Amino acid sequence: MSVLILMSLLNGLTLGALLFITASGLTLSFSLMRVVNLTYGAFYMAGGFIGLSVLKFSGSWLLAVFAGGAVMSALAFIEERFLLRWARGNDLIETLISLSVAIIVGDLVLVIWGGHPRTLSIPEALNGAVSIPLLNTIYPVYRIFTVVLALGIIGALWLFLEKTRLGVTIRAGVDNFEMVSALGINVRRLFSFVFTLSGFLAGVSGVVGGTFLMLVVGEDWRILTLTLIVIIIGGMGSLGGTIVGSLITGLIHSFSTAFIPEFSLFVLFLPVAIILSIRPRGLFGRQR
Amino acid sequence: MTKERGYRFSRALLGALVGGIIIAIPWISSKYFMMMSIRLMYFGMLTMSLTYLAGELGAVSLMQAAFFGISGYSVALLQSRYGLPFPIPPLAGLVIAVLAAGLFGLLVVRVRGIYFLMLTLVLGQLVWALANQWSSITRGDTGIMNIYAPTVFGISTETSKTAFYFFQLIFFCGAASFVAALKRSPFGLMLRGVRDSESRMAMLGFRVHLLRYAAFVFASLVAALGGVFFTYFTGLINPHSVSLTANVEALLAAILGGINSLLGAIVGTAILKTLDVVLSGITERYMLIMGVLFMLVIMFARQGIVGTLMKYWNNRLFTSGNRDPERRPAGFSKKPDVVGNP
Repeated sequence: MSVLILMSLLNGLTLGALLFITASGLTLSFSLMRVVNLTYGAFYMAGGFIGLSVLKFSGSWLLAVFAGGAVMSALAFIEERFLLRWARGNDLIETLISLSVAIIVGDLVLVIWGGHPRTLSIPEALNGAVSIPLLNTIYPVYRIFTVVLALGIIGALWLFLEKTRLGVTIRAGVDNFEMVSALGINVRRLFSFVFTLSGFLAGVSGVVGGTFLMLVVGEDWRILTLTLIVIIIGGMGSLGGTIVGSLITGLIHSFSTAFIPEFSLFVLFLPVAIILSIRPRGLFGRQR
Repeated sequence: MTKERGYRFSRALLGALVGGIIIAIPWISSKYFMMMSIRLMYFGMLTMSLTYLAGELGAVSLMQAAFFGISGYSVALLQSRYGLPFPIPPLAGLVIAVLAAGLFGLLVVRVRGIYFLMLTLVLGQLVWALANQWSSITRGDTGIMNIYAPTVFGISTETSKTAFYFFQLIFFCGAASFVAALKRSPFGLMLRGVRDSESRMAMLGFRVHLLRYAAFVFASLVAALGGVFFTYFTGLINPHSVSLTANVEALLAAILGGINSLLGAIVGTAILKTLDVVLSGITERYMLIMGVLFMLVIMFARQGIVGTLMKYWNNRLFTSGNRDPERRPAGFSKKPDVVGNP
């Protein structure tokens, strides 16, 4: 195996891991609320920049991750509570409102942090490269950490959705929303919670992603596009689908960047087209 | 009966008056205003394409600017790179854009509602990525420059802006009549049936997918025509023309004006482009203001300016095609009762 192929494979896996962290929050809120939160890319970017500032101020990368997540979850809470609830019941209007918020947040980020590309510096403990014995190559520790983090989040989300009462309620809401509200569960609060959680995941992924990708104006739409592709491929409301979709998207993007850079994003049209032709609901999407 | 006749007469008179003013613009107004009118017309075609889909199909597309750009890029490439003579680049550009719409249409007709919005956003972004990254053809971020408007019947529309104005006006009126005719035609009625109840239309034996597909391709053709004139007038095309910003601006113009009438598309575009000029002189926070405006319109004036005016004024002089009083005011939602008043 040539070095280029090997590196593309590893890069694809790590990009897939990042995309999973990003897409998991979006698919969670989407499947419950039927709203495509188009603010998501802006949350990613703003979270990354907040992490950048916190890292500069405090020097702690872990604190930066939590700060990015916390501020974005607060922002998501405000958006859900004061804007989306306004149009509850009309998912198209809710989605368009989230688009307007995305434009506003995107421009505010430009005002506050400027238009120069930035990256967060990798924390001491995760810096450097490690040699992978079987493949006979060296690879940055931080990128391997991303995969580990994604696996951790998969585990945590799975435990949360399968084993906790709140998670069970959410899953029930995804399947039959009317029934859940008829059972006397406060659906408004549930929506707020899920949306806030998805904002947290967006902020966290922004800091994590901003450490190995570039943070620059326009990144919000790039990440949103990739995330939506993950969801289209994987299907709505399925953790497994999101995992598979992230891997497919990450690998294709990584290989096309290495071999056909002029079409590195456009090539993603192919999986989208193929999946939509065979299974309009995505690989693991369920028919409603 | 006499009332109806008077109504028709006043309508014809108003039409003649507006037509006269439009034709007289190059002589009675400043050069600047004429340039603005030219811009209004090509962006108006883009907005029309979007309002047609939103109003008649009930689907909000975030990729109409892609077809605007595809025809623009085709014209630019065929002219500057291959040096083809005049009628070929714009015609080929329209054909290429329609082919692209035919390809993307195969996918987008499979999805509805927010899925449609999401998929068109993704596809539009992929076209933008192509314009940006395929730099051996599109010259990346810089775009293609030095495109000259053609000479039509011996008059150069490059040097004479008045000639360009009329050249475009003919096609603009053609596009507007095309859309108006589409709305009135049996096809338009079937499409409205699909918008209101797809399952019923399918049950009645209509080929629902084909109708939606045709609507998407027709709308894209109108956007593509706008793109041709945009490229000729500005003399350049770059990825910004197919960016999400361009799509959002078209959507904002559509919603500002109101999605149910052709006039709404024009009014919305006029407001947006005027704002663009005014704001760009005083602030750099254009996008921020656009975002806030977008949010306010979506939340408080969903029927747009023309729609809201018509609702209170109930003056139906301007509605193109359908004058059915039963007609729903906003074609935006399939569940108007649920939206109602929050």
